[in-house]
Amino acid sequence: MSPLAQRSFWRSLEQRADTPEFRQFVEREFPAWADEMLEPASRRRFLQLMGASMALAGMTACRWPVEPIVPFAHRPEGFVPGEPLHYATALELSGAAVGLVVTSYDGRPIKVEGNPDHAYSLGGTLAWHQAALLELYDPDRSQHVVARETGPALWDEFVGFARAHFDALSATGGRGLAVLAESSSSPSRADLRARFQAAFPQARWHEYEPLSRDTVREGARLAFGRPYRTHVALDRAETILALDEDFLLHHPAAVRYARDFVAGRDPDGATFSRLWVVETNLSLTGSAADRRIALPNRALPAFATCLLSKLVHEAGAKLPPGLEGLRPALEAARSHPVYGRVDADLVLDLAGKPGRTVVLAGPRLTPEAHALVHALNETLGNIGRTVRYTEEPDPDRPPHATAIRELAHAMGHNLVETLVILGGNPVYDAPADLGFGDLLARVKTSIRLATYEDETSRACTWHVPRAHVLESWGDARDFAGTVCLVQPLIEPLHAGKTDLELLAQLLGEAPSSAYEIVRRTFAAGRGEPDERAWHAALRAGVVEGSAWPDARPTLGTQAWGERIVAALGAPAAPGPETFELVFGPAASLVDGRFANNGWLQELADPLTKLTWDNAAVLAPETATELRLVQGDVVQIARGGARIELPVFVLPGQAPRTIGAALGYGRTRAGRVGSGAGFDVYALRVGEEGAWADVQLERTGRTYPLATTQDHFAIDTLGAQERAERAVTLVREVELEAWRHDPAHALHREHAVPPIELWKPHDYPGERWGMAIDLNACTGCGACVVACQAENNIPVVGKAEVARGREMHWIRIDRYFAGDPDAPEVVHQPLTCHHCENAPCEQVCPVAATVHDAEGLNVMVYNRCIGTRYCNNNCPYKVRRFNWFNNHKSESALEVMVYNPEVTVRSRGVMEKCTFCVQRIQHVRIHARNEQVRGENGRAEGRLIRDGEIVPACAQACPTRAIAFGDLNDPASRVGRQHGSERAYKMLDEFNVRPRTAYLARVRNRGGHEGAA
Amino acid sequence: MARFAMQVHGKRPLIFPKWVDALRPVVGGVAAIAPVYAIALLYYGGSPRTTDVGYMPEQPVPYSHEVHAGNLGIDCRYCHSTVEQTAHAAVPPTQTCMNCHAGIYPESPKLVPIRESFSTGMPVRWIRVHDLPDYVYFDHSAHVTRGVGCVECHDRVDKMETVYQAQPLSMGWCLDCHRNPDTHLRPLDQVTNMAWAPPGDRAELGARLREQYGIAPSEDCSTCHR
Repeated sequence: MSPLAQRSFWRSLEQRADTPEFRQFVEREFPAWADEMLEPASRRRFLQLMGASMALAGMTACRWPVEPIVPFAHRPEGFVPGEPLHYATALELSGAAVGLVVTSYDGRPIKVEGNPDHAYSLGGTLAWHQAALLELYDPDRSQHVVARETGPALWDEFVGFARAHFDALSATGGRGLAVLAESSSSPSRADLRARFQAAFPQARWHEYEPLSRDTVREGARLAFGRPYRTHVALDRAETILALDEDFLLHHPAAVRYARDFVAGRDPDGATFSRLWVVETNLSLTGSAADRRIALPNRALPAFATCLLSKLVHEAGAKLPPGLEGLRPALEAARSHPVYGRVDADLVLDLAGKPGRTVVLAGPRLTPEAHALVHALNETLGNIGRTVRYTEEPDPDRPPHATAIRELAHAMGHNLVETLVILGGNPVYDAPADLGFGDLLARVKTSIRLATYEDETSRACTWHVPRAHVLESWGDARDFAGTVCLVQPLIEPLHAGKTDLELLAQLLGEAPSSAYEIVRRTFAAGRGEPDERAWHAALRAGVVEGSAWPDARPTLGTQAWGERIVAALGAPAAPGPETFELVFGPAASLVDGRFANNGWLQELADPLTKLTWDNAAVLAPETATELRLVQGDVVQIARGGARIELPVFVLPGQAPRTIGAALGYGRTRAGRVGSGAGFDVYALRVGEEGAWADVQLERTGRTYPLATTQDHFAIDTLGAQERAERAVTLVREVELEAWRHDPAHALHREHAVPPIELWKPHDYPGERWGMAIDLNACTGCGACVVACQAENNIPVVGKAEVARGREMHWIRIDRYFAGDPDAPEVVHQPLTCHHCENAPCEQVCPVAATVHDAEGLNVMVYNRCIGTRYCNNNCPYKVRRFNWFNNHKSESALEVMVYNPEVTVRSRGVMEKCTFCVQRIQHVRIHARNEQVRGENGRAEGRLIRDGEIVPACAQACPTRAIAFGDLNDPASRVGRQHGSERAYKMLDEFNVRPRTAYLARVRNRGGHEGAA
Repeated sequence: MARFAMQVHGKRPLIFPKWVDALRPVVGGVAAIAPVYAIALLYYGGSPRTTDVGYMPEQPVPYSHEVHAGNLGIDCRYCHSTVEQTAHAAVPPTQTCMNCHAGIYPESPKLVPIRESFSTGMPVRWIRVHDLPDYVYFDHSAHVTRGVGCVECHDRVDKMETVYQAQPLSMGWCLDCHRNPDTHLRPLDQVTNMAWAPPGDRAELGARLREQYGIAPSEDCSTCHR
């Protein structure tokens, strides 16, 4: 057994087994291809080229390029060229908005941040909010109206056609007219929809989302008679049970919930919650769990019933009067096979804490299970305390799965002659058994509004380009109903139209501009148009007081009590020859809508660390049983449908289940997304979109997967001596131990004081440093994309990622600990530590990486000659080399995404995290400029305030896990964190004096295991 | 590991092909020229032709700084109004020109592009004279609010009929001042005064101002390069 296998943390099963593949990643700076330059032929060619370029060196750059200055003819008041401006807007995803603040530089949006004034952002974002920017400048976005028969057309031609067509339709009241819209919370769209239905009373309006939360909604309808939306206060709960609910990532309130969740887990605070997660696929929330139970997806409803049964029968919980109808089910549950899987510790953690626990359930559970979760919260006394309800908007809307079926039925019977599709992508993501593409071909006139000319648009008779959110006027509600205003940062680059504009056009109504429509909706509730209120709302991004009021519904069991008993009769595990395939959203592509976004394609999945692909995720024990290894291609069959997927072995997946991410395998996504990964929608048939029984067969072929999980692995091998000094990269403490004795909880080893080779430098001014709280980091990856956007980091593609050449300046290392079948997970963001004794600087032959007076380890691109010695000598493996000129063939549109404050690097130079030096300089110069011209004529700038400089990663973080500031100020946030008992420096024993400190993760396992 | 596939002739491995032998007489000549070439390259690299000193492009409008800033005595900041707030000393919008020229020389043929721009809203395309490389992030506000006069980098613009680049604007030139700022500082209220002369010893005054304004110019790479 190698020394590693004895240690507790590991990144991959390869590392745990210490396989040759893993050794290669550790021992070779760039595996697999690192020696290509040493091939004799290429070496000679290299020398020839060198000779030629020496001779030509003097001939280039004879003249500076002539550069124009193009000032405004009339400069807007208050506008300062070159000073960034910030505008509030919002991004809606599947019917819930998150408020954003977008930075505009000379009229060009260059960065997206969360809106600190919006309750569902609080300044944080997720990766796709950050990546919205790249989509704006995506050259593959559709740029003009397309008429299927005649090709590209003008908007006016479409208007001409639409006017005639819809005038004719209004004569018949809209017979044969149908609309298929993606889910939206926009009050203006709801208003236009009402007008549309008034104008075309015969028309049918359908809404569809492939990853719908309708089971949650229908569960509430069962429980309360009407659909209600559940809101939870995660910061006030002592015990949180998430039943297959990924509230840290795939939830409309994820950004806020992540913040609340972390707020309830302050190791120095009075309460520290314990998170229990019961799920099938290892989710981001599952990776944050203190205790996790992996079960097949079909067993989760039974688990909820068994839990309530155990609470009532064994923990003395009193079933509230309205829930007596559940007695037979609870009785039956006692003999259910899952009953034994309900951990006694979980029951203890939940019982007897009225209002201090919370149970959440995810959209893959059945409506009955959701009704039961309401019963659980009621029994536990949580309703009105940690759980509150608001009414769902549009309560009579049929579930998405039903709506698409109704539409398909009508299309199949030729009842739809005109179909308007607003967004979505039903040809790709509608249930596969509907054959939506074929049905669409039977519709005489189909009009599609979409960002890309994708699978669906190509089957429609008209395609209208949709304006990007950063080009649009609009409005949307957040998870709690607060209206957020969407304002454009730039005129539509490709004459795109918004949903509102298209609907108004089809209605033939004035006003037809989205701005006027939104103003009309805004004024509607107010009596008279209120200019000041409008500007205040526009500035804040949110309309104050527009949230839905709390509701207090009454719980009844009439509609579903019986069904719970029936549901218990269903098998709780897949049969002997079958496997349970569990559909899930792709970590960053969600349902596939972001497939053409290179930033999101290259952002590694937080758990598998896969880029550019999805896979059939298997548990180690299942893979062993089937003798499958990572990269083996398997055929998965469900009835007549079959797909091929490469295998990925991930600890934590429930045995005999297959986790499969939707959203990949697009055929018409664009140049980036087409052909990346495999289309799992092909297996999603029928109404139930959660899981399916499938057969699995090996094909004998293999497929290269680009996973970054072993990239930049930090070499902790070596002598036994060093192993004994416990080079632990990630540390965690048990809550009990921490509370008992914080000073010794971390088991610090007493290293021999290092001998200084150089006289340490003084940093009398600011001493910039960073602190990363591993207890707050959820591993969502927003920081990675935020850094990419801020620092002009290129996308390199799957082939280069597979060679370990991804360029991200910040990466998130994901470590497993413990049993591979029931692992615990730690996420560790890692970026340049700006070591005071930087090893990279000591080996650079040309002083291309040096320290500045504040201790920043700066990279001087113009000096760098690309020896890569620095990367070789970096213990943290955070330096990135430009193997190619990644910016060479970019169009004028693509280069608009760049942050003008950061140099775009060319081929042959190293780069790495700068601590966002451009933001430091911007704040510093402005602080110095704010002069106090006192009586003696002294010109003194003010001091830089703590928290004034925020690097891009820290700003994007939903949980504020990253702190940045002046280490010379012990009162600063970062200074306090560096002084915490939880703080430790990674690889401190090398005496590199890193400026980044980590705060150890705190586990609250409790129970018997926790005591061990 | 790499394997070097070399031809072996006798005992000596052949690294270069045979035809290289024909080049042997030339080697001496190349060796003789090499130092001359190197010196010429260095000379050329540092010459004004490379640093662009004296660059005086023709502007779309024959705007005279000599008339406006010199004879008329208009303060630099009337047009370059953002110089104290931000990195760019913005070239003024057409509107600024028309503030005066709506009444003064309203018919002048030289001002046709200005009047056109003002009426159509299309900008005038001026030519940048002082052009730093894109990896240099110079900030005007950081200099003019610390007592560095406009004239230090731009010379006597008030005496230029057409503006040209008077200083090399090379990194060495920047660092000369960052290392010895004393002789380039002036009282804050004299920053835009092109004709200001120090009332005594410049270095002595500069040292006092440096202390008074708390000026400590940075020589770090990160100050200008990001």
